[in-house]
Amino acid sequence: MQLKLPTAVEAGAEFNALVGKLGDLLVRALDKPLGYAVNWGRLYSIWPVHLETGCCSIELGAASSPRYDVERFGMLEAFGSLRQCDLLLVLGTVNRKMAPRLRMVYDQMPEPKYVVAMGACSITGGLYFDSYNVLPGIDSIVPVDVYVPGCPPRPETLIQGVMLLQEKIKRSKVKAI
Amino acid sequence: MATADIPQGTAINNWEIAPGLRAEKMESLVADQERFLTLSIGPQHPGAGHMRIIVVVDGDIIVKADPDVGYVHRGEEKMSEYRTFVQNVPHIERPVIHDSSNILYAYCLAAEDLLGIQVPERAKYLRTIAAEIDRIGYTLYWLAILGIFVGHSTMFMWPTADRELFVNLADMASGNRVTHAWLIPGGVRNDIPAGFADKAKEFLDYFEKKRLPEYHKIFFDNPLFRQRSQGVGILSKQDAIDIGVTGSVLRASGVNYDVRKREPYEIYDTLDFKVHTSDMGDSFARSILPMEDVRQSIEIIRQCLDNMPRQGDVRVKLQPNPRAPPGEAYRRVEAGRGALGQYLVSDGTAKTYRHKLSVPSLRNLLALPHLLDGAKLADLPLIYWSLNIWPIEIER
Repeated sequence: MQLKLPTAVEAGAEFNALVGKLGDLLVRALDKPLGYAVNWGRLYSIWPVHLETGCCSIELGAASSPRYDVERFGMLEAFGSLRQCDLLLVLGTVNRKMAPRLRMVYDQMPEPKYVVAMGACSITGGLYFDSYNVLPGIDSIVPVDVYVPGCPPRPETLIQGVMLLQEKIKRSKVKAI
Repeated sequence: MATADIPQGTAINNWEIAPGLRAEKMESLVADQERFLTLSIGPQHPGAGHMRIIVVVDGDIIVKADPDVGYVHRGEEKMSEYRTFVQNVPHIERPVIHDSSNILYAYCLAAEDLLGIQVPERAKYLRTIAAEIDRIGYTLYWLAILGIFVGHSTMFMWPTADRELFVNLADMASGNRVTHAWLIPGGVRNDIPAGFADKAKEFLDYFEKKRLPEYHKIFFDNPLFRQRSQGVGILSKQDAIDIGVTGSVLRASGVNYDVRKREPYEIYDTLDFKVHTSDMGDSFARSILPMEDVRQSIEIIRQCLDNMPRQGDVRVKLQPNPRAPPGEAYRRVEAGRGALGQYLVSDGTAKTYRHKLSVPSLRNLLALPHLLDGAKLADLPLIYWSLNIWPIEIER
């Protein structure tokens, strides 16, 4: 038996459905430009976490130096709390004592977050592949976006890695703002 | 806590509990026990480096500090047992990648003692040049990080930029900016290219005549830096000797000790350079002394470039897997941070039986709990970094 609704509620329900359909249309129309704008905002203000796991930190220091200056490409200085950072640069060797801390740091970062594995040690264990204490790569702990090879990678290589990350951010789908 | 529990007139902490004030006093006494807070200045921290310092603070004063190392322990000494003498070179230099020539210097001297080879004369001068370039590069990077720790961003930017001059020289000679792997048992890997001496003199003149006075003006004559570092973290001469610190930390406490003068190796006894000391023993002395050492390193490089034999071999040709007769060798050099020793034991095969690295950063680290006892929490980064510690080297 068809349930008879009072007329006011019926009209309200239809109005809600219309607004819902209009909203859907709006989001779909603005998805591409809005998404592009949001991604553009994220590209040039990448904050790395100040976590130094290995010796590649020197080439990060050199990349932030006036000669190579990665800040002009959009990667800012590592400064402040990790709750406001979006890039985890794993600089070099991760050993068994550091691995849980690395995971803890990764978990505490807010979305969207990116991980760049810098140096051969964080990609496959590098020079220390047969050491008893070194993890053969950080893939098993954190999901990596960009791998920057080298031992240590030259600052220009790191800058290229950051630029590849920026390409990836440009193409990414914005799920939440 | 019921106020009726404490009988009238009981003195606790030398304060007599007066009626009427009882409740507040009890609360503050309970709070006293909870006054100490344990902080973890952990591996993820803008002012910690690759290690953790567990501090117990009472308000603003550090009561106890306990360094927690081991976050970069990679097992260098164990890995040496699986690699031949020449294969050891790349991983031995990675504890301190920007001072790699000094750490390799000790290794090569010990390995050459074991293998019984004589290094050609030109190679000795080239090694000294590389060691001093690395010492300058290391000290400038150390100064840069000191800038980050005290919040002086120019102190980060200028040294890392000027360091590029010296890193360029090393790049020209060896092919890599850091971790040159240029010193190998037997000499150096290859000869320097043709324009090296001229470029080196140009860079040295520019740095010494133009940049170092500017550094003194902006960094060390800076009243803010002086206020922060003078009188902070004073290490007395007797304490420095008892704890066993080395390098510029020891010299800043008044002890005239430099391995290059006390136990000269290769050509250091023919070179003319001074060793500076200071009686103050505070963080300011420890911050400014390495820059004086940089000046002396510049002098040494100039003398080496002038006195070097014009031609000659730079390397003794070794067999692919040279075997050493059973024996042991211990050699010590002065690295950027202090006295660095390497002890090799050979058992007749191509691989070492035991390789022990004795690093200066560990000895300097031992002064940290002593200096932080009673210091203010805000002074921790300055005291910690002025001790000339490179955390990865502690754990090898």
